[in-house]
Amino acid sequence: MSTAVRHPLPGDASRATSDVRLSVEQVSYAYAPNPSQAPLFTLEALSFQAKPGEVVAILGPNASGKSTLLQLIAGSLLPLSGRIFLNGFETHTLPVKTRAQRIALVQQESRLLFPSRAWEFVMQGRHPYHPGLRFESDEDIAIANNALAQVGASHLADRWMDKVSGGEKQRIILARALAQQPLLLLLDEPTLHLDIGAQVDLLESLRRLAAQNRYTVVVVTHELNLAGEYADQVVLLQRGKCLRVGTPASVLQREILEQVFQAPLSVEMTASGRPRVTLFSNK
Amino acid sequence: MRPLTLTRLLLRCAILAAILFGVVLLALKLGAVQVSLYGLGKDLVSVLLRHTNALSSDYGMIVLDIRLPRILLGIVVGASLSVAGTSFQALLRNPLADPYVLGVSSGAALGAILALIVESHMSLSPEMAGLITPVGAFIGAALTISAVYLLGLRDGEIDSTTLLLGGIITVSFLNAIIMFLMTTLSGSNLRGMAFWLMGDLSTPQPRSLLYFLCLGFIIASGAIYTTASDLNLLLAGEKEAMHLGVDVPRVRIVVYLAASVLTGLAVSVSGAIGYIGLLVPHVMRLIFGSDHRMLLPASALGGAIAIVIADTLARTVTAPTDLPVGAMTAAAGAPLFLYLLRRRIA
Amino acid sequence: MHPSWSHAVRSAGLVTLATFAFTVFPLDAQSSVSSTAAPVTTHEVVDEFGRMVRVPVAPTRIVSLAPSLTETIYALGAQNHLVGDTDFCDYPPDAQKKTKVGGAINPNLEEIAALHPDLVLVTREINRLETVRALDTLGIPAYATDAHSVDDIISNTQKLADLLGIPEAGKTLTADLRMRLAKLQAKLKGIPPTRVLFIVWTEPLISIGKNTFIADALNKADATSIVDSPRDWPQMSLEEVVHLQPDYLVFAASHSEGGARDFEALVDRPGWRNLDAVRNRHYAVISDAVNRPAPRIVSAIEDLAHQLHPAAFIEAPAPEGSPALASPNPDAEPVTPTPPARYSTGAQRSHEEFACAR
Repeated sequence: MSTAVRHPLPGDASRATSDVRLSVEQVSYAYAPNPSQAPLFTLEALSFQAKPGEVVAILGPNASGKSTLLQLIAGSLLPLSGRIFLNGFETHTLPVKTRAQRIALVQQESRLLFPSRAWEFVMQGRHPYHPGLRFESDEDIAIANNALAQVGASHLADRWMDKVSGGEKQRIILARALAQQPLLLLLDEPTLHLDIGAQVDLLESLRRLAAQNRYTVVVVTHELNLAGEYADQVVLLQRGKCLRVGTPASVLQREILEQVFQAPLSVEMTASGRPRVTLFSNK
Repeated sequence: MRPLTLTRLLLRCAILAAILFGVVLLALKLGAVQVSLYGLGKDLVSVLLRHTNALSSDYGMIVLDIRLPRILLGIVVGASLSVAGTSFQALLRNPLADPYVLGVSSGAALGAILALIVESHMSLSPEMAGLITPVGAFIGAALTISAVYLLGLRDGEIDSTTLLLGGIITVSFLNAIIMFLMTTLSGSNLRGMAFWLMGDLSTPQPRSLLYFLCLGFIIASGAIYTTASDLNLLLAGEKEAMHLGVDVPRVRIVVYLAASVLTGLAVSVSGAIGYIGLLVPHVMRLIFGSDHRMLLPASALGGAIAIVIADTLARTVTAPTDLPVGAMTAAAGAPLFLYLLRRRIA
Repeated sequence: MHPSWSHAVRSAGLVTLATFAFTVFPLDAQSSVSSTAAPVTTHEVVDEFGRMVRVPVAPTRIVSLAPSLTETIYALGAQNHLVGDTDFCDYPPDAQKKTKVGGAINPNLEEIAALHPDLVLVTREINRLETVRALDTLGIPAYATDAHSVDDIISNTQKLADLLGIPEAGKTLTADLRMRLAKLQAKLKGIPPTRVLFIVWTEPLISIGKNTFIADALNKADATSIVDSPRDWPQMSLEEVVHLQPDYLVFAASHSEGGARDFEALVDRPGWRNLDAVRNRHYAVISDAVNRPAPRIVSAIEDLAHQLHPAAFIEAPAPEGSPALASPNPDAEPVTPTPPARYSTGAQRSHEEFACAR
């Protein structure tokens, strides 16, 4: 007896199968603040695909276009050319509410004008399912509680958002995204302000959640080893250009990494078949 | 975890309404002329039961014809300003926003002054002359709303920062014109205008205007209330709100127009009463939190309570002289604002 | 959420709303002052706002909302019917004992209503139209006067007397006022008018416009205001005043010391120093009665004439009870003449003699 109204789309049934869920096809972008001037920034055409349960890492140095690509996938930017499909539907053509039921975006931080409690914050994730003015139902409360539990933040439910640590806040923001019950979970540099232990925790959670709830997770990061260890697929960008797409082992290779990151390094394979990058000092 | 439910909302509103009722009774009782509420109540009951056709008590007319309309006007004005203030604080994501920051009151003041100047050159019947100031003020407000809206457009959509800047510029510009025009006003018009600028409820308004005001309040605040959940999300940022399913451009337009209309209506009849639209939302937020589904009705009731108290004080503190209610709200509002600042709320 | 709970709360809300509605709507039934008094004869008059007002033929409970109207009522001898006046009604001193209803701009409607007046008097000059409209809503007749010249003041005095049902008192008073002015005219005949600057305020410099009764009062005292402005209270630039170089500065003050103080404050100010009138100490101080469109303005006019044109009054030594002092209403306090200003012309000594002779 669900009171949450999710606008059904054909192809939602494919959630449980291993068909392609996210398809980025020859997507490019250009940004010019002044239409008469040359564009300040361009993203050249790139393509990749992702399945349910997969973790994709978008990797690259600063200003390589990672965040822009994420915004394009989220549907908040219009691509210059190419298309992005989610279960067969172009993301930017979906109405805002429907899009929010399928795509959840986790930014680096959330600036709250007036502080609220953690559970209120997580409840915001249920907004896409409320037509107009509505009060939360028991089901919404259950989903929010569940989301907090999944990120291990149930004990933080009654805390004020301005009184939690960076890592705790990150988990609560993730819980809000989970409360949206999305198909696609997008994260923009989530490990930026976290200490090492928290970084590992987060990526472990993402991998677990992707497997459990069949999300497709796309993470933007510049942490080579996190991408190498936890991603199923890596998209390597440099200055708006996609250099390689593939498994971590095939993308994180010494020659190409040295060219992208301009630093001497070496790559080893771990026992589990994952690459590990070691940086040397620049002489 | 205790989310807001309809029952809890209505219960809290009922409590606030009860407080408002009590304050109104007190306001009916107090004034330059002392009134016995018990006697008045008896008279009212006998009128309702059609035993007599008119009130036998002296003070009956004073209470019903002077005080009650003034109190009711104050309630609508206070509620309008508070709802507008809450909306602007959410729309502009600025805790220092008040209903006048986007220039509506300056536009209304300019409209009122121009109406006064026009009126002195025409000979109108007193009924028309009475309406010309509120009508002129509302026209001025409406024009300013449109102008600031156009100023606030960026890439075809309202942008909060651009809107705020446009409003501030408009306020400065209009205030300069107002100051210039004030030097041309005759003595009594000048004094009347000074009262208007401070915010004054002592002028009885025609009944039709009051009904119009109530209707405008209900429609405009109703429109804003439909976006209450969206406003909660808007506080986190427009991009985030959009990613959570908020139709940001639609919410912006609805809230901007409705809140500006509320301000324009209130200011047209009572002048620019200060601090209500700024502080009542903060106080209500301290008590009830920032969920706008609760905050909006709470602000409306809280604003009504605040204005009735302020106006009653204005009527009684230096009786028989009537102070303008804006003087009272400023006198109480400034220290309260300081206190809230120190608590790092505002 | 229990449906019955919310239903109960909603019903309670509706009941409260209905109660409010019940109290608001019967307002129309009782908007007039409930009276058990005997029916009063009324007639319709048109006031200076152009409004048709229905007033009692002989009002017995009058509220005055302007000091000038209060003074006029006393001058006509009708003060026993005055039941309320403003905080600023201070002349004659007996007026201060009347019930106060607040300021002229913001009188307290409740106080006025509590006095059950059958006529409220206002002026177009200092009262607000909103006040008049408010009184209309309450069913209290309000009559407005307006004066732009001294003749207006005198004819308004008669109109007021007619309104109050005492036309004879009006005729006596206006005849006396006109006689005094005529005598003054005779004395001043042939003397060129003095160019003066009437100072309302010094910072900013505000004077009076040519359409005000004050300007006309100056004319009657054989003085012309150098300010030629259609506005009532024009703000002047000091440069322009220096360019026009008035012969005399005129101050209005309730006490002569106040006026002298005002002048002394200007003596060393830059800009003001360049005025011949300041250097030569050519200034006159008259009673602030000149600011009120009431019968007392004639005394102020006479006083000003004496100060500006002393030569015209030298010939006849003033008899006991000079016209300047005689007041038509024996109950009113005698007008205290302001002491003459000190100025260093030769006429000073003889003027002081004249002053001793008063």
